[in-house]
Amino acid sequence: MKGAERAVPAVLLIGGFIAVGLMLVGLVALEVRATRTAHPLDVRHVVENRAAGRAVDVFVSLPQIAHALARWPPEPVAIIAAGIVVLLTTPAAGLLAALVAFARAGDRRYVIICAALLVMLVSGFFLHVGG
Amino acid sequence: MSDIAFLSMMLGTAVAAGVLGAILGLGGGILLVPLLTLFFGVSLPYAMGASIVSVIATSCGAAAGHLSSGLANLRLGLFLATATVSGALLGAGLVGVVPARALQILFGLALGYSAFTTLRQLHVEVAESLTVDPVAQRFGLDGVYHDRALGRDVAYHAVHVGRGTAVMFGAGVLSGLLGIGSGAFKVLAMDTFMRLPMKVSTATSNFMIGLTAAASAGVYFGRGDIHPVIATPVALGVLLGSYVGTRLIGRLRNTTVRKLFLPIVLYLAVSMLLRGLGLLR
Repeated sequence: MKGAERAVPAVLLIGGFIAVGLMLVGLVALEVRATRTAHPLDVRHVVENRAAGRAVDVFVSLPQIAHALARWPPEPVAIIAAGIVVLLTTPAAGLLAALVAFARAGDRRYVIICAALLVMLVSGFFLHVGG
Repeated sequence: MSDIAFLSMMLGTAVAAGVLGAILGLGGGILLVPLLTLFFGVSLPYAMGASIVSVIATSCGAAAGHLSSGLANLRLGLFLATATVSGALLGAGLVGVVPARALQILFGLALGYSAFTTLRQLHVEVAESLTVDPVAQRFGLDGVYHDRALGRDVAYHAVHVGRGTAVMFGAGVLSGLLGIGSGAFKVLAMDTFMRLPMKVSTATSNFMIGLTAAASAGVYFGRGDIHPVIATPVALGVLLGSYVGTRLIGRLRNTTVRKLFLPIVLYLAVSMLLRGLGLLR
Protein backbone atom coordinates (compact mmCIF):
# COMPACT_ATOMS: atom_id res chain seq x y z
CA MET A 1 0.00 0.00 0.00
CA LYS A 2 1.34 3.41 -0.97
CA GLY A 3 2.09 6.28 1.45
CA ALA A 4 -1.07 8.30 0.81
CA GLU A 5 -3.30 5.21 1.12
CA ARG A 6 -1.80 4.65 4.60
CA ALA A 7 -1.70 8.24 5.81
CA VAL A 8 -5.20 9.36 4.81
CA PRO A 9 -7.23 6.65 6.61
CA ALA A 10 -5.12 7.13 9.75
CA VAL A 11 -5.78 10.87 9.80
CA LEU A 12 -9.52 10.45 9.07
CA LEU A 13 -9.96 7.88 11.86
CA ILE A 14 -7.90 9.77 14.44
CA GLY A 15 -9.62 13.06 13.58
CA GLY A 16 -13.03 11.41 13.80
CA PHE A 17 -12.37 9.89 17.21
CA ILE A 18 -10.79 13.07 18.66
CA ALA A 19 -13.83 15.02 17.46
CA VAL A 20 -16.33 12.58 18.92
CA GLY A 21 -14.29 12.34 22.14
CA LEU A 22 -14.44 16.09 22.64
CA MET A 23 -18.17 16.12 21.87
CA LEU A 24 -18.83 13.35 24.39
CA VAL A 25 -16.79 15.05 27.13
CA GLY A 26 -18.69 18.27 26.52
CA LEU A 27 -22.09 16.57 26.53
CA VAL A 28 -21.36 14.71 29.78
CA ALA A 29 -20.11 17.94 31.38
CA LEU A 30 -23.30 19.68 30.21
CA GLU A 31 -25.50 16.97 31.70
CA VAL A 32 -23.53 17.02 35.00
CA ARG A 33 -23.86 20.81 35.23
CA ALA A 34 -27.57 20.58 34.43
CA THR A 35 -28.03 18.04 37.24
CA ARG A 36 -26.01 20.08 39.78
CA THR A 37 -27.82 23.33 39.06
CA ALA A 38 -31.20 21.58 39.00
CA HIS A 39 -31.85 22.90 35.46
CA PRO A 40 -32.54 19.80 33.39
CA LEU A 41 -31.17 19.73 29.86
CA ASP A 42 -34.62 19.08 28.39
CA VAL A 43 -33.50 17.75 25.00
CA ARG A 44 -37.01 17.93 23.54
CA HIS A 45 -37.09 21.66 24.17
CA VAL A 46 -33.69 21.94 22.47
CA VAL A 47 -34.61 20.06 19.31
CA GLU A 48 -37.77 22.08 18.76
CA ASN A 49 -36.18 25.42 19.64
CA ARG A 50 -34.99 26.42 16.19
CA ALA A 51 -38.44 26.19 14.64
CA ALA A 52 -39.85 28.34 17.43
CA GLY A 53 -37.25 30.98 16.62
CA ARG A 54 -35.99 31.26 20.20
CA ALA A 55 -32.34 32.02 20.79
CA VAL A 56 -30.17 29.01 21.40
CA ASP A 57 -26.72 28.60 22.93
CA VAL A 58 -24.88 27.57 19.80
CA PHE A 59 -21.38 28.77 19.05
CA VAL A 60 -21.04 29.98 15.46
CA SER A 61 -17.48 31.27 15.19
CA LEU A 62 -13.95 30.24 16.18
CA PRO A 63 -13.24 33.35 18.31
CA GLN A 64 -16.45 32.65 20.30
CA ILE A 65 -15.34 29.06 20.95
CA ALA A 66 -11.80 30.09 21.89
CA HIS A 67 -13.09 32.71 24.32
CA ALA A 68 -15.43 30.23 26.03
CA LEU A 69 -12.71 27.57 26.28
CA ALA A 70 -10.25 30.03 27.84
CA ARG A 71 -12.48 30.42 30.90
CA TRP A 72 -12.28 28.06 33.94
CA PRO A 73 -14.13 25.82 33.99
CA PRO A 74 -14.48 25.78 30.20
CA GLU A 75 -18.02 26.08 28.88
CA PRO A 76 -19.28 22.52 28.07
CA VAL A 77 -21.08 23.67 24.91
CA ALA A 78 -17.81 25.23 23.72
CA ILE A 79 -16.06 21.86 24.22
CA ILE A 80 -18.71 20.21 22.04
CA ALA A 81 -18.37 23.03 19.49
CA ALA A 82 -14.60 22.49 19.41
CA GLY A 83 -15.28 18.81 18.67
CA ILE A 84 -17.65 19.77 15.86
CA VAL A 85 -14.98 22.05 14.35
CA VAL A 86 -12.43 19.20 14.54
CA LEU A 87 -14.91 16.91 12.75
CA LEU A 88 -15.72 19.45 10.02
CA THR A 89 -12.02 20.05 9.34
CA THR A 90 -10.91 16.40 9.44
CA PRO A 91 -11.47 15.87 5.66
CA ALA A 92 -9.15 18.83 5.04
CA ALA A 93 -6.59 17.26 7.40
CA GLY A 94 -6.85 14.04 5.37
CA LEU A 95 -6.21 16.07 2.21
CA LEU A 96 -3.14 17.64 3.78
CA ALA A 97 -1.82 14.19 4.71
CA ALA A 98 -2.40 13.05 1.10
CA LEU A 99 -0.62 16.14 -0.26
CA VAL A 100 2.45 15.49 1.92
CA ALA A 101 2.50 11.80 0.93
CA PHE A 102 2.20 12.58 -2.78
CA ALA A 103 4.91 15.26 -2.48
CA ARG A 104 7.24 12.71 -0.84
CA ALA A 105 6.48 10.28 -3.69
CA GLY A 106 7.18 13.00 -6.28
CA ASP A 107 3.65 12.76 -7.73
CA ARG A 108 3.22 16.37 -8.91
CA ARG A 109 -0.22 15.85 -10.49
CA TYR A 110 -1.80 14.76 -7.22
CA VAL A 111 0.05 17.39 -5.21
CA ILE A 112 -1.67 19.98 -7.41
CA ILE A 113 -5.05 18.25 -7.13
CA CYS A 114 -4.78 18.05 -3.32
CA ALA A 115 -3.62 21.66 -3.08
CA ALA A 116 -6.54 22.88 -5.21
CA LEU A 117 -9.04 20.94 -3.08
CA LEU A 118 -7.46 22.25 0.14
CA VAL A 119 -7.71 25.85 -1.02
CA MET A 120 -11.40 25.34 -1.87
CA LEU A 121 -12.20 23.65 1.46
CA VAL A 122 -10.24 25.96 3.75
CA SER A 123 -11.41 29.20 2.13
CA GLY A 124 -15.01 27.98 2.13
CA PHE A 125 -14.87 27.02 5.82
CA PHE A 126 -13.10 30.11 7.18
CA LEU A 127 -15.26 32.45 5.13
CA HIS A 128 -18.23 31.46 7.30
CA VAL A 129 -16.63 30.47 10.61
CA GLY A 130 -13.56 32.67 10.92
CA GLY A 131 -15.56 35.29 12.80
CA MET B 1 -39.02 10.16 27.94
CA SER B 2 -35.80 11.09 29.78
CA ASP B 3 -32.91 12.93 28.13
CA ILE B 4 -30.70 9.81 28.34
CA ALA B 5 -33.34 7.63 26.69
CA PHE B 6 -33.96 10.22 23.95
CA LEU B 7 -30.25 10.62 23.21
CA SER B 8 -29.73 6.83 23.31
CA MET B 9 -32.47 6.30 20.72
CA MET B 10 -30.89 8.98 18.54
CA LEU B 11 -27.55 7.22 18.93
CA GLY B 12 -29.03 3.86 17.89
CA THR B 13 -30.67 5.43 14.84
CA ALA B 14 -27.38 7.05 13.87
CA VAL B 15 -25.53 3.71 14.18
CA ALA B 16 -27.99 2.11 11.73
CA ALA B 17 -27.63 5.08 9.35
CA GLY B 18 -23.85 4.76 9.56
CA VAL B 19 -23.89 1.05 8.72
CA LEU B 20 -26.16 1.56 5.69
CA GLY B 21 -24.30 4.69 4.61
CA ALA B 22 -20.95 2.90 4.60
CA ILE B 23 -22.31 0.05 2.48
CA LEU B 24 -24.23 2.21 0.01
CA GLY B 25 -21.86 5.18 -0.28
CA LEU B 26 -24.36 7.62 1.20
CA GLY B 27 -23.79 10.22 3.90
CA GLY B 28 -26.81 9.65 6.01
CA GLY B 29 -28.82 12.76 5.14
CA ILE B 30 -31.21 10.74 3.05
CA LEU B 31 -31.67 8.35 5.96
CA LEU B 32 -31.33 10.63 8.98
CA VAL B 33 -33.20 13.80 7.98
CA PRO B 34 -36.60 12.09 7.61
CA LEU B 35 -36.06 10.07 10.80
CA LEU B 36 -34.92 13.06 12.86
CA THR B 37 -37.78 15.30 11.71
CA LEU B 38 -40.61 12.76 11.66
CA PHE B 39 -39.65 10.45 14.53
CA PHE B 40 -37.65 12.66 16.90
CA GLY B 41 -39.44 15.95 16.22
CA VAL B 42 -36.20 17.76 15.36
CA SER B 43 -36.77 21.03 13.50
CA LEU B 44 -35.62 20.98 9.86
CA PRO B 45 -32.63 23.40 10.22
CA TYR B 46 -31.20 21.29 13.05
CA ALA B 47 -31.87 18.09 11.09
CA MET B 48 -29.96 19.54 8.11
CA GLY B 49 -27.10 20.51 10.42
CA ALA B 50 -27.09 16.99 11.87
CA SER B 51 -27.07 15.67 8.32
CA ILE B 52 -23.84 17.51 7.48
CA VAL B 53 -22.28 16.09 10.67
CA SER B 54 -23.52 12.66 9.68
CA VAL B 55 -22.03 12.91 6.18
CA ILE B 56 -18.58 13.87 7.47
CA ALA B 57 -18.63 11.34 10.31
CA THR B 58 -19.71 8.59 7.86
CA SER B 59 -16.91 9.62 5.54
CA CYS B 60 -14.30 9.58 8.32
CA GLY B 61 -15.32 6.15 9.59
CA ALA B 62 -16.13 4.47 6.28
CA ALA B 63 -13.37 6.00 4.15
CA ALA B 64 -10.77 5.02 6.75
CA GLY B 65 -11.93 1.40 6.57
CA HIS B 66 -12.44 1.31 2.79
CA LEU B 67 -9.08 2.95 2.01
CA SER B 68 -7.27 0.55 4.34
CA SER B 69 -8.94 -2.46 2.68
CA GLY B 70 -8.19 -1.15 -0.81
CA LEU B 71 -11.85 -0.95 -1.79
CA ALA B 72 -11.90 2.86 -2.07
CA ASN B 73 -9.71 4.31 -4.83
CA LEU B 74 -7.95 7.36 -3.35
CA ARG B 75 -6.65 8.79 -6.64
CA LEU B 76 -10.03 8.36 -8.33
CA GLY B 77 -11.78 9.97 -5.36
CA LEU B 78 -9.43 12.97 -5.34
CA PHE B 79 -9.63 13.40 -9.12
CA LEU B 80 -13.43 13.34 -9.17
CA ALA B 81 -13.68 15.45 -5.99
CA THR B 82 -12.20 18.44 -7.85
CA ALA B 83 -15.39 18.35 -9.94
CA THR B 84 -17.85 17.85 -7.07
CA VAL B 85 -16.28 20.41 -4.72
CA SER B 86 -15.97 23.11 -7.38
CA GLY B 87 -19.53 22.28 -8.46
CA ALA B 88 -20.75 22.62 -4.87
CA LEU B 89 -19.10 26.02 -4.50
CA LEU B 90 -20.64 27.17 -7.79
CA GLY B 91 -24.03 25.79 -6.78
CA ALA B 92 -23.97 27.64 -3.47
CA GLY B 93 -23.25 30.83 -5.40
CA LEU B 94 -26.19 30.20 -7.74
CA VAL B 95 -28.78 30.02 -4.96
CA GLY B 96 -31.58 32.36 -5.95
CA VAL B 97 -30.30 32.68 -9.53
CA VAL B 98 -31.09 29.28 -11.00
CA PRO B 99 -34.65 27.97 -10.61
CA ALA B 100 -34.21 25.13 -8.12
CA ARG B 101 -37.51 23.44 -9.04
CA ALA B 102 -36.54 23.05 -12.69
CA LEU B 103 -33.29 21.41 -11.61
CA GLN B 104 -35.11 19.11 -9.23
CA ILE B 105 -37.39 17.90 -12.05
CA LEU B 106 -34.41 17.45 -14.35
CA PHE B 107 -32.43 15.47 -11.81
CA GLY B 108 -35.49 13.51 -10.76
CA LEU B 109 -35.86 12.35 -14.36
CA ALA B 110 -32.13 11.62 -14.58
CA LEU B 111 -32.33 9.55 -11.40
CA GLY B 112 -35.32 7.68 -12.79
CA TYR B 113 -33.31 6.80 -15.87
CA SER B 114 -30.40 5.73 -13.64
CA ALA B 115 -32.74 3.49 -11.65
CA PHE B 116 -33.77 1.84 -14.92
CA THR B 117 -30.10 1.36 -15.89
CA THR B 118 -29.30 -0.04 -12.44
CA LEU B 119 -32.18 -2.48 -12.79
CA ARG B 120 -30.80 -3.70 -16.13
CA GLN B 121 -27.39 -4.31 -14.52
CA LEU B 122 -28.78 -5.88 -11.36
CA HIS B 123 -27.08 -9.22 -11.97
CA VAL B 124 -23.77 -7.88 -13.30
CA GLU B 125 -21.08 -8.64 -10.74
CA VAL B 126 -18.14 -6.90 -12.46
CA ALA B 127 -18.55 -5.04 -15.77
CA GLU B 128 -16.19 -5.81 -18.60
CA SER B 129 -14.06 -2.79 -19.59
CA LEU B 130 -13.41 -3.11 -23.29
CA THR B 131 -11.86 0.34 -23.88
CA VAL B 132 -8.84 2.02 -22.37
CA ASP B 133 -9.41 5.58 -21.20
CA PRO B 134 -6.27 7.72 -21.71
CA VAL B 135 -7.23 10.08 -18.86
CA ALA B 136 -7.63 7.13 -16.51
CA GLN B 137 -4.21 5.87 -17.50
CA ARG B 138 -2.51 9.27 -17.16
CA PHE B 139 -3.97 9.88 -13.69
CA GLY B 140 -3.63 6.29 -12.47
CA LEU B 141 -7.36 5.83 -11.88
CA ASP B 142 -7.45 2.07 -12.48
CA GLY B 143 -7.14 -0.28 -9.55
CA VAL B 144 -7.42 -3.72 -8.00
CA TYR B 145 -9.09 -4.88 -4.80
CA HIS B 146 -9.50 -8.20 -3.03
CA ASP B 147 -13.15 -9.28 -3.10
CA ARG B 148 -13.83 -11.51 -0.08
CA ALA B 149 -17.27 -12.48 -1.36
CA LEU B 150 -15.80 -13.73 -4.64
CA GLY B 151 -12.60 -15.01 -3.03
CA ARG B 152 -10.30 -13.36 -5.58
CA ASP B 153 -8.61 -10.13 -6.63
CA VAL B 154 -10.67 -7.99 -9.01
CA ALA B 155 -8.87 -5.63 -11.40
CA TYR B 156 -10.95 -2.79 -12.83
CA HIS B 157 -10.51 0.01 -15.36
CA ALA B 158 -12.28 3.35 -15.29
CA VAL B 159 -13.83 4.30 -18.64
CA HIS B 160 -15.67 7.42 -19.88
CA VAL B 161 -13.79 9.50 -17.30
CA GLY B 162 -14.86 12.76 -19.00
CA ARG B 163 -18.52 11.82 -18.82
CA GLY B 164 -18.21 10.69 -15.20
CA THR B 165 -16.44 13.92 -14.24
CA ALA B 166 -19.19 15.99 -15.87
CA VAL B 167 -21.83 14.10 -13.89
CA MET B 168 -19.80 14.65 -10.73
CA PHE B 169 -19.70 18.39 -11.41
CA GLY B 170 -23.47 18.40 -11.89
CA ALA B 171 -23.91 16.48 -8.64
CA GLY B 172 -21.75 19.06 -6.89
CA VAL B 173 -23.81 21.94 -8.28
CA LEU B 174 -26.96 20.19 -7.09
CA SER B 175 -25.43 19.76 -3.63
CA GLY B 176 -24.54 23.42 -3.33
CA LEU B 177 -27.77 24.68 -4.85
CA LEU B 178 -30.23 22.47 -2.99
CA GLY B 179 -28.26 21.86 0.20
CA ILE B 180 -28.43 18.10 -0.21
CA GLY B 181 -25.82 15.40 -0.18
CA SER B 182 -24.94 13.82 -3.49
CA GLY B 183 -23.63 10.40 -2.50
CA ALA B 184 -26.19 8.62 -4.67
CA PHE B 185 -25.16 10.64 -7.74
CA LYS B 186 -21.50 9.87 -7.12
CA VAL B 187 -22.22 6.15 -6.88
CA LEU B 188 -24.34 6.21 -10.03
CA ALA B 189 -21.71 8.19 -11.97
CA MET B 190 -19.02 5.65 -11.11
CA ASP B 191 -21.20 2.55 -11.52
CA THR B 192 -23.25 3.55 -14.59
CA PHE B 193 -20.90 5.81 -16.57
CA MET B 194 -17.42 4.76 -15.51
CA ARG B 195 -18.30 1.02 -15.24
CA LEU B 196 -16.57 0.54 -11.92
CA PRO B 197 -17.47 -2.36 -9.60
CA MET B 198 -20.41 -1.36 -7.39
CA LYS B 199 -18.48 -1.84 -4.12
CA VAL B 200 -15.62 0.34 -5.41
CA SER B 201 -18.19 2.97 -6.40
CA THR B 202 -19.85 3.06 -2.96
CA ALA B 203 -16.53 2.91 -1.10
CA THR B 204 -14.96 5.72 -3.14
CA SER B 205 -18.16 7.75 -2.78
CA ASN B 206 -17.80 7.43 1.01
CA PHE B 207 -14.43 9.16 0.76
CA MET B 208 -15.69 11.88 -1.59
CA ILE B 209 -18.84 12.83 0.33
CA GLY B 210 -16.71 14.04 3.26
CA LEU B 211 -14.82 16.45 1.01
CA THR B 212 -18.01 17.74 -0.65
CA ALA B 213 -19.74 18.20 2.71
CA ALA B 214 -16.72 19.93 4.23
CA ALA B 215 -16.90 22.51 1.43
CA SER B 216 -20.30 23.71 2.65
CA ALA B 217 -20.07 22.79 6.35
CA GLY B 218 -18.96 26.29 7.30
CA VAL B 219 -22.30 27.68 6.10
CA TYR B 220 -24.30 25.40 8.41
CA PHE B 221 -21.97 26.01 11.36
CA GLY B 222 -21.99 29.77 10.87
CA ARG B 223 -25.81 29.81 10.73
CA GLY B 224 -26.07 27.94 14.04
CA ASP B 225 -27.76 24.93 12.40
CA ILE B 226 -25.40 22.38 13.99
CA HIS B 227 -26.75 22.03 17.51
CA PRO B 228 -24.24 20.44 19.92
CA VAL B 229 -26.80 18.27 21.75
CA ILE B 230 -28.08 16.70 18.51
CA ALA B 231 -24.71 16.54 16.74
CA THR B 232 -23.01 14.52 19.50
CA PRO B 233 -25.10 11.32 19.42
CA VAL B 234 -25.39 11.57 15.62
CA ALA B 235 -21.61 11.89 15.12
CA LEU B 236 -20.79 9.11 17.60
CA GLY B 237 -23.42 6.72 16.24
CA VAL B 238 -22.59 7.31 12.59
CA LEU B 239 -18.85 7.00 13.15
CA LEU B 240 -19.27 3.66 14.92
CA GLY B 241 -21.88 2.40 12.46
CA SER B 242 -19.86 3.34 9.39
CA TYR B 243 -16.81 1.48 10.68
CA VAL B 244 -18.99 -1.61 11.19
CA GLY B 245 -20.38 -1.12 7.68
CA THR B 246 -16.90 -1.25 6.17
CA ARG B 247 -16.44 -4.69 7.75
CA LEU B 248 -19.79 -5.92 6.43
CA ILE B 249 -19.35 -4.79 2.81
CA GLY B 250 -16.45 -7.20 2.35
CA ARG B 251 -18.86 -10.11 2.74
CA LEU B 252 -21.37 -8.76 0.21
CA ARG B 253 -21.33 -9.28 -3.53
CA ASN B 254 -21.51 -6.31 -5.93
CA THR B 255 -24.95 -7.51 -7.06
CA THR B 256 -26.23 -7.48 -3.46
CA VAL B 257 -25.03 -3.90 -2.91
CA ARG B 258 -26.69 -2.88 -6.19
CA LYS B 259 -29.99 -4.49 -5.09
CA LEU B 260 -29.82 -2.58 -1.80
CA PHE B 261 -29.04 0.64 -3.66
CA LEU B 262 -31.90 0.45 -6.17
CA PRO B 263 -34.75 1.39 -3.76
CA ILE B 264 -32.70 4.39 -2.59
CA VAL B 265 -32.38 5.66 -6.17
CA LEU B 266 -36.10 5.16 -6.78
CA TYR B 267 -36.98 6.97 -3.55
CA LEU B 268 -34.67 9.87 -4.49
CA ALA B 269 -36.08 10.07 -8.04
CA VAL B 270 -39.68 10.20 -6.84
CA SER B 271 -39.05 12.67 -3.98
CA MET B 272 -37.01 14.96 -6.24
CA LEU B 273 -39.74 14.94 -8.93
CA LEU B 274 -42.42 15.63 -6.32
CA ARG B 275 -40.37 18.54 -4.89
CA GLY B 276 -39.80 19.94 -8.37
CA LEU B 277 -43.55 19.81 -9.03
CA GLY B 278 -44.21 21.53 -5.70
CA LEU B 279 -46.03 18.53 -4.27
CA LEU B 280 -43.49 17.90 -1.50
CA ARG B 281 -41.68 20.40 0.73
